[in-house]
Amino acid sequence: MILIIGGAYQGKLDFAKEVFGITDVDVHICDTGEIDFSKRCIYKIEEFTYNHPDPIGYFQAHREAWQDSILILQDIFCGVVPMGAENRAWRQRTGRLSQYLSREATQVSRIFCGLEQRLK
Amino acid sequence: MTYFISGGAKNGKSTLAQDLTVALSKGGKHYYVATMISTGAEDDDRIRRHIADRDGMGFETVECFRNIMECLKSADKNGVFLVDSVTALIQNSLFPIEKNYEMDLEAASRCADELVAFAHTVRHAVFVSDCIYSDAERYSESTEMYCKCLASIDRRLAKVCDTVIEVSAGQFIIHKGDLCI
Repeated sequence: MILIIGGAYQGKLDFAKEVFGITDVDVHICDTGEIDFSKRCIYKIEEFTYNHPDPIGYFQAHREAWQDSILILQDIFCGVVPMGAENRAWRQRTGRLSQYLSREATQVSRIFCGLEQRLK
Repeated sequence: MTYFISGGAKNGKSTLAQDLTVALSKGGKHYYVATMISTGAEDDDRIRRHIADRDGMGFETVECFRNIMECLKSADKNGVFLVDSVTALIQNSLFPIEKNYEMDLEAASRCADELVAFAHTVRHAVFVSDCIYSDAERYSESTEMYCKCLASIDRRLAKVCDTVIEVSAGQFIIHKGDLCI
């Protein structure tokens, strides 16, 4: 599994398209529903975690399904602690998930202004 | 040489940018492109601090609040330009003060196009931007649009500039090219 992280609008999906040759039909764009792991690229995982109480548990339960996937997660971790409890909890469970996925990944790429920084 | 510098607030971006500009000038013309429109005492203070920081470094100041190519009416394109910051130019364009901050996407798009043209036109330039994309706030539509516009020009400048540096706690992460000083 390849994990791509980075701030908003940094070009994470464009990087995945360019480097791994994926197109829009290969991409599942997350919302609050189930993730379609049959797609090669799972995008906006932070949208999935917004309402899911246990995203690590969810990913562990589907572990076999994403071993060869490209997972894209937005870095939402560097700002001021959010005022709202909901956003604080969202940031926490998303951050923990990013650490879990990063451990599982064979490659971790951080995208900064469209440029890749290889973290793993 | 063209440089694009970004990173978090108060991490040393402007200091690096000033040092780079002076080094690139080799004693020749170097310009500070003043981009900030003061909206009150707090901004006046910040501007005064920035002027004091540059004192004795030999900068000529060129005021430019939106369309960067206009600098070249008075400045020599063979000089070195410090553009600090891209953030202020996009903000001034997208939310024009004289139109009561009403969003103007066309102006922001022109501002971005001119920044890219400027990078291609001048001999040396150092662009400073701000990395504001990694927090857990859900912003209003206009703030999201601002982030999106800034990120878009950041990416365009990062593509055309020779060197791209992220500054963190005064340290430099070089994403592209060389520091060369």
